[in-house]
Amino acid sequence: MLFWILVATLTAAVAAVLLLPLLRAAAGAEAPQSHDVEVYRDQLEELKRDERNGLISGEDAGFARAEVARRLLVATDAVNAAGPVQPARRSNRLAQLAIILILPAVGLCLYLRTGNPDVPDAPLAARLANPGNDMNILIARAEQQLVANPDDGAGWDVLAPIYYRSGRVEDAAAAFRNALRILGATPARLGGYAESLIALSGGLVTTEAQDALQKSLAIEPNDPRAQFYLALALKQEGKAPEALAAFQQIARTSPAGAPWLPLVNEHIAGLKHDGAAPAGAQARAKLGNPTGEDVAAAEDMSAGDRTAMIEGMVGSLAEKLKADPKNFEGWMRIIRSYSVLGQKDKATDALKQGLAAFPADGDEGKQLLVLAGELGLKADGGVK
Amino acid sequence: MIIELGHYALVLALGVSLLQAVLPIIGALRGDRALMEIGTVAAKATFLLVAISFGVLTYAHVTSDFSVQNVWENSHSQIPLIYKFSGVWGNHEGSMLLWVLILTFFSALVALFGDNLPETLKANVLAVQAWIAAAFSLFILLTSNPFNRLLDAPGEGQDLNPVLQDIGLAIHPPLLYLGYVGFSVCFSFAIAALIEGRLDAAWARWVRPWTLAAWTCLTAGIAMGSYWAYYELGWGGWWFWDPVENASFIPWLAGTALLHSALVMEKREALKIWTVLLAIMTFSMSLLGTFLVRSGVLTSVHAFATDPTRGVFILMILILFIGGALSLFAFRAARLKAGGLFAPISREGALVFNNLILTTAAATVLTGTLYPLALEAVTGSKISVGPPFFNMTFGLLMLPLLLAVPFGPLLAWKRGDLLGVGQRLFAAVAIGLVVGSAIYYAQNGGPIMALFGIALGAYMIAGSLTELYLRSGLGKVTGAVALRRLSGLPRSVFGTALAHIGLGITLIGIVAVTAFETEHIVEMKPGMTTDAGGYTLRFDGLRNGNGPNYSEESGHFTISRAGVAVADVWSSKRFYTARRMPTTEAGIRTFGTSQLYVSLGDGMADGGVVVRIWWKPMILCIWGGALFMMAGGAVSLSDRRLRIGAPARARKKKPLLEPAE
Repeated sequence: MLFWILVATLTAAVAAVLLLPLLRAAAGAEAPQSHDVEVYRDQLEELKRDERNGLISGEDAGFARAEVARRLLVATDAVNAAGPVQPARRSNRLAQLAIILILPAVGLCLYLRTGNPDVPDAPLAARLANPGNDMNILIARAEQQLVANPDDGAGWDVLAPIYYRSGRVEDAAAAFRNALRILGATPARLGGYAESLIALSGGLVTTEAQDALQKSLAIEPNDPRAQFYLALALKQEGKAPEALAAFQQIARTSPAGAPWLPLVNEHIAGLKHDGAAPAGAQARAKLGNPTGEDVAAAEDMSAGDRTAMIEGMVGSLAEKLKADPKNFEGWMRIIRSYSVLGQKDKATDALKQGLAAFPADGDEGKQLLVLAGELGLKADGGVK
Repeated sequence: MIIELGHYALVLALGVSLLQAVLPIIGALRGDRALMEIGTVAAKATFLLVAISFGVLTYAHVTSDFSVQNVWENSHSQIPLIYKFSGVWGNHEGSMLLWVLILTFFSALVALFGDNLPETLKANVLAVQAWIAAAFSLFILLTSNPFNRLLDAPGEGQDLNPVLQDIGLAIHPPLLYLGYVGFSVCFSFAIAALIEGRLDAAWARWVRPWTLAAWTCLTAGIAMGSYWAYYELGWGGWWFWDPVENASFIPWLAGTALLHSALVMEKREALKIWTVLLAIMTFSMSLLGTFLVRSGVLTSVHAFATDPTRGVFILMILILFIGGALSLFAFRAARLKAGGLFAPISREGALVFNNLILTTAAATVLTGTLYPLALEAVTGSKISVGPPFFNMTFGLLMLPLLLAVPFGPLLAWKRGDLLGVGQRLFAAVAIGLVVGSAIYYAQNGGPIMALFGIALGAYMIAGSLTELYLRSGLGKVTGAVALRRLSGLPRSVFGTALAHIGLGITLIGIVAVTAFETEHIVEMKPGMTTDAGGYTLRFDGLRNGNGPNYSEESGHFTISRAGVAVADVWSSKRFYTARRMPTTEAGIRTFGTSQLYVSLGDGMADGGVVVRIWWKPMILCIWGGALFMMAGGAVSLSDRRLRIGAPARARKKKPLLEPAE
C-alpha cells in the first residue's frame, strides 16, 4: 500500500511541476532574430575590452569591428522586417490535459506490464541476518563455509541433496563425491551420487553410476533404489531377459503395497511384451533411451520433484549447447531428454539445431537422424 | 519496495520525456512561452527521475540484492566495493541506463544554462533530446530492463565478468558515454536548426563547446579503453581494429571533423550547412556504435538472428533517427543561409581539407567494420578485415592530413599565404628530421618508414610550437614582452597547440612501438634469465595466493641492467571461481616512456612456465599524446570569450599580422 501511495505522490509531484509553467501568465515570445542582435552587441563589447587590455591591436580591432558590424546590420534588418511579435493568448487546456493524463497512463500501463510491485527488496545482509527458510541463502552460507573449510564432510552431506532437489545436478554430484571422499561410503551417499550422475546424463544409467550402485548394494543388499536403477541399466543396455529377471526380483522382495511396485510391474509387463515384439523396440532399448515410465518410477523410488530436476538439468544443458553447439554428445542427450519429458516440439527444435551444427551428411549427423527415427521425430518439423 | 520505486521512476521518466518531446515544439511553433518553458522543467525532471532510477540500481548492486536479475547475473557478494559500483554499468542493461542518464544529464545542462539561447531554439533542442531519451528509455523498459526480478532470490551472484573487474571499468564506459552522448546535443542543435529553418549566431557559439566537451571525453574514453585492453588482456597489443573499438573510433573521427568545422562556423559563419550535416553524422555514428556493440550483431550475425529483439529495436531507433534527420536535412537545408566566402588557401580551406580527410577516414573505417557483417549476412561466408586493411587505407589517408596539421593554425582566415607559412615551418621540418634520425640511430635501425614516421611526429610538435613562438614574437621583442604576449594569447590558441602536439606525440609512440618493439616467448625455470630491451629479467619463481573471489598464481621477476638490479615485477594468472574464468594480470614496469611487459603463459610439466616478454619502446607516448589532446580540449573549452574571425584586408602585405581569436 505504501508503495502505491509513494507512486501516486511521485506522479502527482512531477505532473504539478510540469503544470507550473502553464499556470503562469503566458507571455509572447520574442522574435528569434533579436537574439542574434544581442550576440553581436556582446561581441562588440568584448572587442572593446580586448582593445583596452592590449590583447588586440587597433588595426585588427578595426577589421573585427567591421566584420561584426556587418553581421549586426543584417540581423537588425531581419528583426525590423519580422516586426513585433504579438503575444499569444491561446488557451493551454489541451496541454494541461495531456500532462494530467499521459503521466499516470504511461506510468501505470508500462509499469504494470514490466514491474513486480509485490516483490520485496532483498539485500543480502538482511537475508543473511535472518535466513528463515530461504533455501538459497542456506545454500550460499553452506557454500561459503565450505570454501573456507573444504574438508567439512557434514557440510557436503547437507548440501548435496539440497543441490539435487534444486536442480543443480552437477554440483550435487560433486558434493556427493566430496562427502563420499571425506566421510566414506553409505548407501544414502552412494545412491544420491548415482542418482545425480543419472540425472546428469539425461536418465541414462552410466557405468560410473552403476559402479556406485553396486557399491551401495554391497553395503545394503536390499536397497530397492539401487536395485531398480541397476535393473533399469540392464534394460537400457538391451539385456531384456536379465532386466526382466532383476525387476521380478525387486517385485518379489518388496513389501506388499510398496509405492514403487506398480511401476516395477509395468516394466515387467513391458519387457515381457517387448520380448515378443519386433526389433524396433529392442533397438530402442539398446540406445539406452529411458522411457517415460522409467523416469516416473525413479520419481517414486526416492523423494523429490524429479521432473523439475530433469528440466533444470536439461535447461542448463541447453544453455551450454547454445554457447557451444559443437557438442555432439550434448545434442544426443538433450534430444533424448526432451522426448523423455514428452516435449516433442523442443526435441524437434533441438534436433534441427543439432543438425545445423552437425550436417546430416556427416557421421554424427547420421547418428542424430537415427536417434530421431527411434524417437519418432522428424527433422523437418513435426512429429511422425 | 525501493527497487520497484526505482523501476517506476524510470517509467515515469519515459512519460515525462514523451511530453517533453511534443509540447515545447508546439510552443515554439505557436510562439507560446509557457509551452516552451515546459521543456526546461521537463528536462530537469527527467534527469532527476533517471538519476533516482540509476541510484536505486546502484543501491541494489551495492547491497547485493540478488532478487534483481541484473545484480544476480553481474555481481557477487565477495567482490570489492568498487566493482559493486562499476558492475552497475558493466553489463548491457546497466550500461544502457547509464547511457540514458548521461543523455538526460546533458538535456538538464542545456535547460539550466541555456538562458542565453533563443527561446525557440532551446525549446526545439530539448524536444529533440527528449525524442532520443524516450526512444532509449522505451528500449530499456521493453527489451533490457535492469529491474527484472527473480521471485526466488538466489543466495549468491554469478560474479562480474573477471575481465571487467578492474579500475578501468569504473572509468572507461562513463567517459566513453559522455563522449558518445555528448554529441547528441550537437545533433539536437542541428535538428532544431533544421526545424526552425534558420541558424542563429548563438547556434555556433553553443555547438562548439558541446562538441569540444564531448570530443574531450571521447578521446579520454578511447585512450583509457586502449590502455585497459593493453594491460588487462595480456596480449601486449593496444589497438586491434576490433569492431567494438572501431565503433568508438568512427564517432571520434567524425567528431574531430565536426570540432574543426564548428570552429570555422563560429568564427567566420562559413560552412554552416556542412557543420549541420556533420553534427547529424557524428551522432549517427555514435548511435551506430551503440547498435553494433549492444545488439550482439558483432558476436555473430547468427546469434543476432536467433534473438533479434534488442537488435531490431535499436535498428529501428537507428533508422528512425538517422533516416529522419537526413530526410529533414534534405528538405530543409536549402532554407539555411550559406555562410561567408573564402579562398581555397586560407584557414577555412585548411579546415575543409581536414574535414574531407577525416570524413573519408571515418567512412573507410566504417566500411572495414561493416563489410564483413554485410558479407556474412548475405552470403554466409565469414571473413575478417584485419589490421592490414586498416593500416594500409587509414594510414595512407592520414598522411597528408598529418603533414598539413601545422599549416592550419598558421594560415590566415579567408585568404592565406601558403608559401609564407611554409617558410615559417622550415625550422619545424628540420627539427622533425633531426629528431627522427636521432631516434632511428638510438634504436639501432629498423624500417626506414620508422624514421619518416617519427620525423613526422616531431615535425608536428615543432610546427605547433612554431605558432606559439611566432605569436609571442620571441626573438623580435624582449623576453618580458614576449612572455606577456604569450600569456595574453587566447586560451584556444594554446588548446589548438596542445591538441596538435598531442597528436604528434601519439604518432611518435605508435611508430616507435610498431617499429622497435621486441617480443620474446620463452620457457623459463626459476633462476633463468632473458634479455629484453637492454634489460635482463630473472625469473625467481611462482607463488600461489587468493583474492576475495579468485585464486592466483604469480611469478616474480627481477629486472637488472648491466648486472645491477633496478626493479622487480609480478605477473600473474588469476582464476575466478564463480565464473570459472581465467584472466592474466600482466606485469608491467615503466622506464621513462618505455615499458617491459611480462605475461605468464601455461606451466610446463618440468616446473618451467611459458613467459611472454615484450619490450615496448616509447609506448606511453600513445596515451601521453591523448592526455595532451584532452588537455587541449579542456583548455580550449575554458576559453569563454566570444569569437570573431575577421579577415585581414586583401591588400595587406604583412602576413604576421593576425586577427584576434
